[in-house]
Amino acid sequence: MKKFIAKSDESKKILNIVQVSANLPVNVVIRGEGGVGKKLLAKEILPNAISMDGRFLENSIINNSINMDQYKELIITNIHQVLNKKEFLNNLINIKIVATSKTLIQDIEEQFAIKVDISALGNRKEDLDEISNIYIANANEIYNSNVSLDSIKIDISQNGISLKKSIYKNTLLNSMSEEDIETALENFISTKLDESNTYKYFLKVIEVPLLNIAKIKFKSQLQMATKLNLNRITLRKKIEQYFGNDND
Amino acid sequence: MTDFYEQLLEYDLNPYFVFNSNGRIKSFNKEAEFLLNYVSVKELFQLAVDNASHDFGFSQKYLPLKFNKHSYYAILVGYASDEEIALRLYKVVSNQTNIINNSKLKLVNIFSLIELSKNSTLLSNEIKINEVYDISLPEMKININEFLLCLNDCFKYFENDKNITLKVQIKVGEYEIINNKKFKIVSLEFIAQREVSVNAALEEKASKANANIFFTQNKLKLELPIIL
Repeated sequence: MKKFIAKSDESKKILNIVQVSANLPVNVVIRGEGGVGKKLLAKEILPNAISMDGRFLENSIINNSINMDQYKELIITNIHQVLNKKEFLNNLINIKIVATSKTLIQDIEEQFAIKVDISALGNRKEDLDEISNIYIANANEIYNSNVSLDSIKIDISQNGISLKKSIYKNTLLNSMSEEDIETALENFISTKLDESNTYKYFLKVIEVPLLNIAKIKFKSQLQMATKLNLNRITLRKKIEQYFGNDND
Repeated sequence: MTDFYEQLLEYDLNPYFVFNSNGRIKSFNKEAEFLLNYVSVKELFQLAVDNASHDFGFSQKYLPLKFNKHSYYAILVGYASDEEIALRLYKVVSNQTNIINNSKLKLVNIFSLIELSKNSTLLSNEIKINEVYDISLPEMKININEFLLCLNDCFKYFENDKNITLKVQIKVGEYEIINNKKFKIVSLEFIAQREVSVNAALEEKASKANANIFFTQNKLKLELPIIL
């Protein structure tokens, strides 16, 4: 089972709160943006409970397609999306609930004796570092590579979700061999090769990244032409074609 | 027959007083005697005078009154001459008699609930809390859910203060009588550096948690019976 990572002071406090709550007959709501670890925290409280989406459960109760008597504890995700929250919770009176929410849910706050607010991953540097290290180690193991975090531009716009995606994607890209790239290109071309895409289109796919990197590496067009062994007029034409006249 | 009516008044759960024209008590019952521990005769006499009808007769008035932990919802004031005036107070019904057998009471360490409530309510708050705890307090039976809801709001009440003191201790020599049994009392005193004011929502929450709440000067005090 995946565990909630608690390295920052805030997360340590939160983990302590949920661990104490686990032994008490009270409902808990965990609030925070997507990808901050709400569901992992909920699992810390109710490790054996079933997890259900709030709206899905609400519809199931309305349609009588679920027997709530069979549950003693339940994790309800996205409870902020439930339409009639008070009535919804009235159906769950004898069940210990741990709910997650992306927003404040003032109309039913009284149903939750414990309310935990967890901030974005960007505000928890120690957690971010630890989680990034775990993801990069896993990604390197999977792709049999040795990519370092410093060479990767991580994305935390969606907290853990985008962080994981950016690390795995960049690790994969950084670890590809020439053969892998050829295979990837072949796969790409085979899906795109139809009447609407011309030779010019595929040439652009190859040439734009090449010219971009060459420009960063060699600085001037003269150097670029020399190093790439390309006629200067041809190079200039290509730069104009892809980047416009401003790119000298 | 007069004896019978006197006895009826004597054992009434609602307190009554009869004052003379100087504000001295001429007659009162057992409940009134208890009440005098918390409120002065002068205050009660003034209450009667302020709410008396213009002419001889009786006047009922619904008004919320609270003296210490005793709450009243109405009074009756009557006078038939200039010599004496009667005051009767009507008690708010308390659910305390049922609390001992409430299935929602669970044996718990009160300090763990205080920590939990403090940490979750004031997670990103800079408030400094000077904790003075009597750690000899035993585990006690509490309605955990209602107590936490009440406690959360107590902490929230002070969320804009820079520092407060929280004293948790057993009240020496004081007991609460429930179902003819004596229970020791634990008090949680939140002491601020400002005046506190009565908060009706908090009073309601305290009542649900079987606790009494007091707002005096710079202190918010919660008291609950130690049910073992």
